[in-house]
Amino acid sequence: MQSAPRARRQPAWHMLASEFSEATLNEKGSGEYDPSFVITKLGAKVNRVIVAGLLERLEVRETSNGSTLYQGQMRDPSGLHYFSVGDYASESMRELTLSLVEKTETGEPVLLLMTAKSRWYQTDEGAVYTSLRPEEACEIDAKTYALWLTRASQGTLERMKIHSDSLGAEPTQEGLKASGVPEHMVDGLLLARNHYGEIDTESYTLNVMQALDIAEGRMEAASQPAPAPQAQLDVDSSPGDSSDDDVKDTLVAIISQMDQGDGVDFETVLTNAGARGVDRQVAEAKLDELSNEGTLHEPRFGWFRIVE
Amino acid sequence: MSDKYETHVNAILAECPDADAKEVAEAFAKYETEFYIPPQDAMRSILRRFKGEQAVPTNRGSSQAGSSTPRNTKKVTKLSELNGNDKDIEIEVEIISHNMREQTIRGEQKQIAFGLLEDNPWEEKGDKTRWEYKDWGPSPNLAPGSIVRIEGASVNEYQGRMSLNINQSTRIAIVREGTRPVVAPGEPQDINTLPADGYVCVVGRVLAARPDQIHKKDGSGSLDIVRGRIADESGTIGFLSWEPFDHAVGSLLKIDGAQVRTFRDTPELNFGRTTKVEIFHDKNFADAEALSQQTVLTISQFRDGARDVDAVVQITEWTKRSFTRDGEERFLWSGQIADPSGRCRMSAWSELPITEDQLPLTVRLKGVRVRAWQGIPDVTVDTMDQVEILDSTPWDETLDLTNHTTEVDLTELATGASRVGVSTCAIVVSVREDSGFIQRCTECRRVLREGVCAEHGPNDGNSDVRLRLVMDDGKSSVSLLTNKAATLELLGMSEAEMKSAVDADGQMAFVQHLRGRMLGRMVQASGRTIVDEQGAMMLADQASILDEDAGLRATELRAHWGVA
Repeated sequence: MQSAPRARRQPAWHMLASEFSEATLNEKGSGEYDPSFVITKLGAKVNRVIVAGLLERLEVRETSNGSTLYQGQMRDPSGLHYFSVGDYASESMRELTLSLVEKTETGEPVLLLMTAKSRWYQTDEGAVYTSLRPEEACEIDAKTYALWLTRASQGTLERMKIHSDSLGAEPTQEGLKASGVPEHMVDGLLLARNHYGEIDTESYTLNVMQALDIAEGRMEAASQPAPAPQAQLDVDSSPGDSSDDDVKDTLVAIISQMDQGDGVDFETVLTNAGARGVDRQVAEAKLDELSNEGTLHEPRFGWFRIVE
Repeated sequence: MSDKYETHVNAILAECPDADAKEVAEAFAKYETEFYIPPQDAMRSILRRFKGEQAVPTNRGSSQAGSSTPRNTKKVTKLSELNGNDKDIEIEVEIISHNMREQTIRGEQKQIAFGLLEDNPWEEKGDKTRWEYKDWGPSPNLAPGSIVRIEGASVNEYQGRMSLNINQSTRIAIVREGTRPVVAPGEPQDINTLPADGYVCVVGRVLAARPDQIHKKDGSGSLDIVRGRIADESGTIGFLSWEPFDHAVGSLLKIDGAQVRTFRDTPELNFGRTTKVEIFHDKNFADAEALSQQTVLTISQFRDGARDVDAVVQITEWTKRSFTRDGEERFLWSGQIADPSGRCRMSAWSELPITEDQLPLTVRLKGVRVRAWQGIPDVTVDTMDQVEILDSTPWDETLDLTNHTTEVDLTELATGASRVGVSTCAIVVSVREDSGFIQRCTECRRVLREGVCAEHGPNDGNSDVRLRLVMDDGKSSVSLLTNKAATLELLGMSEAEMKSAVDADGQMAFVQHLRGRMLGRMVQASGRTIVDEQGAMMLADQASILDEDAGLRATELRAHWGVA
């Protein structure tokens, strides 16, 4: 017998950062209190995730209305999560955040595991960025981190399989169900297929292999050499759209202009980028990409220079 | 907080200059955070509260809320605020059922819609009142499951029953779209897909039918009715006919315009004056014997309010109890029953030929009723002939069911009925801040909030220990409450050690410590579940965090998925 669907608690997806951060599709139900979702390329319809990684940065920002907002980033083998903790967060989450800020200030490494709500925002150019709002978090040891890596890998593998199995099916609810797609993936896969079209899942396979290497304790296999600084500039390393490249160009221009010899600090870069109409979080993400690509380097933490 | 609600607070202050701005802002915050009511929707309730007991002039409502309509609309949040002669009202309601009917009005065939609506649609646990409505429009915006704002409807009072009349000039704004399917009348539905409320059409075979009587509560007499059960290949459902019903067991019927009403957790078909019952011909339709197999249930399938239930179970405990009613000593027999799917209680109003030394004893139950108390099914046996003692059990005889727990997938628990004697595994995704020591009301064991029981007021309380977790398998989640013994065992702490840990570092640090140990980890828990419209909850008397080897898991994953 069917009864009225109530606002049930949304399940948490074990997910690697790459899958979440590459998502550019979202859904907000028509009702005022409907949950909102980020839909990933593999068809996960995500309202809540359980994620883990190294706390890479956690800083306080004073917002214009006087409330306090902490912004952080957490890295797992596949990429970065951006998250924020504000006055809306629970007392325990805010207390933890304060203690973590202290730890990051002293440079103490912290492995973090969190359950978090998915957030997304869209820039004026139409680019979509995802971020997280942690609900609960805790410091974990490497053993627990390894366990999480196996679960996130398993989730990714399962979604990749369901995704590829569904490709031959008719793109309707009934078609997907008939081809054996589990109930909780049907909606997300339909939306994902319409939005992303054909996708390449090779990078997810690589992410999973690396995560499993770490879980098995095979750290050398999971390690990669630092990118050779000169090897590839951003010639065609970024298949992103032109607005993404515009942001990068803006950032590079700012840094080259303002560098007095020992680089430009993070805050200055972002303030100037902001003045040129670049969204702060977008700028942070792009700054990170530029560093990873080898266009920029950090001679010391938080100071950026262009690789000559 | 004060900034966020500034405009709303000022609007309230304009009406109630003596109110304290901070308190008003807190009220808005309370509505938003505890009840998810946004400030614009909370305005009216908060205004009423700060105006004290004096009635709010209702016609000022719409201008107060910033609307420019000069209409004399009575805007209410509850149906109970309406009077029988209110003509132009505005309210937000959820549409519970929606049915179309052809009616001849002034010689003209016209479609009208009717059904049930319910007030207070946003509050999950709040008091809700249901009224019938008639839509003369009929508006395409009404659909079952949707929440709508009805502007300009009128109240109809007939023989003390209140209903809403919606006409063509009434505005219906969809606030939240409905999600339940709308089925065209006259289109038969499978019995197992029937909605919990509303008018339906089914084709089914009569499995049982017997005359019964309903005694009116006011003592003004009794009504003759017929109770029974019909089935199709998808399932069975009980029925209650308010009209004469003389179809024999085995008849195949098409029943159009029957109303589903859900009593306790069990839906039932009601046949009334407008229900069309006719003989249906289909040679391929399953016969009564095949269909009646479906009434044989396992304990895991027992639902509160179910009737005509057949089952094979093992009685594991059986005792006679006496009580006094009207000065006369009476007896009741009760005990525990079990099958491989779970356990529950059974009660009998007449003596069964069972002695304690025969236990455990396997019996076949026929046509029994199921009630539930706090989610645990309790089978009621009214007469001796409903129980047949069997010589053998259909399952492995060596299975000891007295403390048997059945391993059940989390999603199955979350979407099924309440069960006893179950065990499950899932990931801990939340450790609530109120895990640890709690105070329970000395009267009712409810958890005290700041020393106050919701029912019995302030009281000293008895100290207890529990954890409040959420477990999740990626598809569903279930609240997990562990009792004192299970909590202490899981944490490997004595109560005194726990007390000193909380006293030394404080509750938040203690909760944070628990999260460090449990978040993201696999928990195995056993106990019983309560599943209702608020979601699923497991009350566990045993729980442990599984010790898993990440390296092994990773290697297994590689092998299983072929990831080199």
